[in-house]
Amino acid sequence: MKPRSAIVRRGGPSTTTVVAVLVLVLFAGAVGFGVYRAGAAAGALPAGATAEGVAVGDPDAPVTIDLYLDFQCPACAQYERQAGATIDELVASGRARVVYHPVAYLNRFSSTDYSSRSSAAAGCAADAGVLPRFAQLLFAHQPPEGGAGLPDDQLVALGAQAGAGPDFAACVQEGRYAGWSRSVTDAASRAGITATPTVLVDGREVERTAEALRAAAAAG
Amino acid sequence: MPPTTPPAPVPATALQPWLSTAGRLLLGAVWLAAGAAKITDLDASVRAVRAYRLLPETAAQVVGAGLPAVELVLGVLLVTGAGVRAAAAVSAVLMLGFVVGIAAAWARGLRIDCGCFGSGGELAAGEDPAYALDLARDAALLVVALLLVRWPAGRFALVKES
Repeated sequence: MKPRSAIVRRGGPSTTTVVAVLVLVLFAGAVGFGVYRAGAAAGALPAGATAEGVAVGDPDAPVTIDLYLDFQCPACAQYERQAGATIDELVASGRARVVYHPVAYLNRFSSTDYSSRSSAAAGCAADAGVLPRFAQLLFAHQPPEGGAGLPDDQLVALGAQAGAGPDFAACVQEGRYAGWSRSVTDAASRAGITATPTVLVDGREVERTAEALRAAAAAG
Repeated sequence: MPPTTPPAPVPATALQPWLSTAGRLLLGAVWLAAGAAKITDLDASVRAVRAYRLLPETAAQVVGAGLPAVELVLGVLLVTGAGVRAAAAVSAVLMLGFVVGIAAAWARGLRIDCGCFGSGGELAAGEDPAYALDLARDAALLVVALLLVRWPAGRFALVKES
């Protein structure tokens, strides 16, 4: 059964095949990189935001808390319930300012990219100056993992409940801050954040408890 | 042509094309699954590569964004049986890279998901890394790829190889 004729090459496949496979592989990689870079355009920034996040509270506060959150992440909702009041208190007393980083890490856990949509909606809430309250409401109404996420209508309703003005609905529906959401997510990834929630006090990671946060903020 | 029937081949030889076919389909199917899971979210794929903290930023972007399409191409080549030896050789190089990357992440005590099947490298809270399992899987696939480089010829292949 074995081909034994003289024309069978013993040295493996023809050079043409090898070159064809390599060219195909490199071409596929180049297309992927091209598609990725083409989508990298950043859009408008919400009021008071940077490409990394939104700061809330006294800009001259002695302590800076960085919160990396994904509105689809159950542990983030849990952290909000546990430490939300402490954060509010630290901001209200002028002890700390909070930088919200609403990252979209968990799009694979919803069929509608809820992480990205809610993150962009957080930008709309920042515009309206109601981000902390909106974030609380999003966590209180967090959709289950693996579902369709909250529909835009409900995001709009929660924004109104948080006190956002009439522009909020248009902002959510047109996905005005989708590009910003992408840049926030990318910045977090570059900063080495590989889990949500991640809480930094003056750049140092602290444990995910209200006590740890309070202690770090008091020391900082 | 001699009129006599050829002697029955030894079992190992008879089995080899089937084993090569099985290995090809297995490796190809894994590539297709991994590529399909990642190609819809290239941002996540880039984040997963960054999470290893091995490559400089531009290289991480090239690898992260390019890998899903490469995986799909390799999967199609292996499953259909076109250029099996070359595709298996590229597969072996990639698998070796994954093994080194995962081992390096483990050795440095990073807490990441391997990102093999389309997460952004992020672990869910309370989730533990599965480095041992990831390493065992990729090492096994590396062996399959190397065997295919040695014995690429199998059944149902689009392009015959020696």
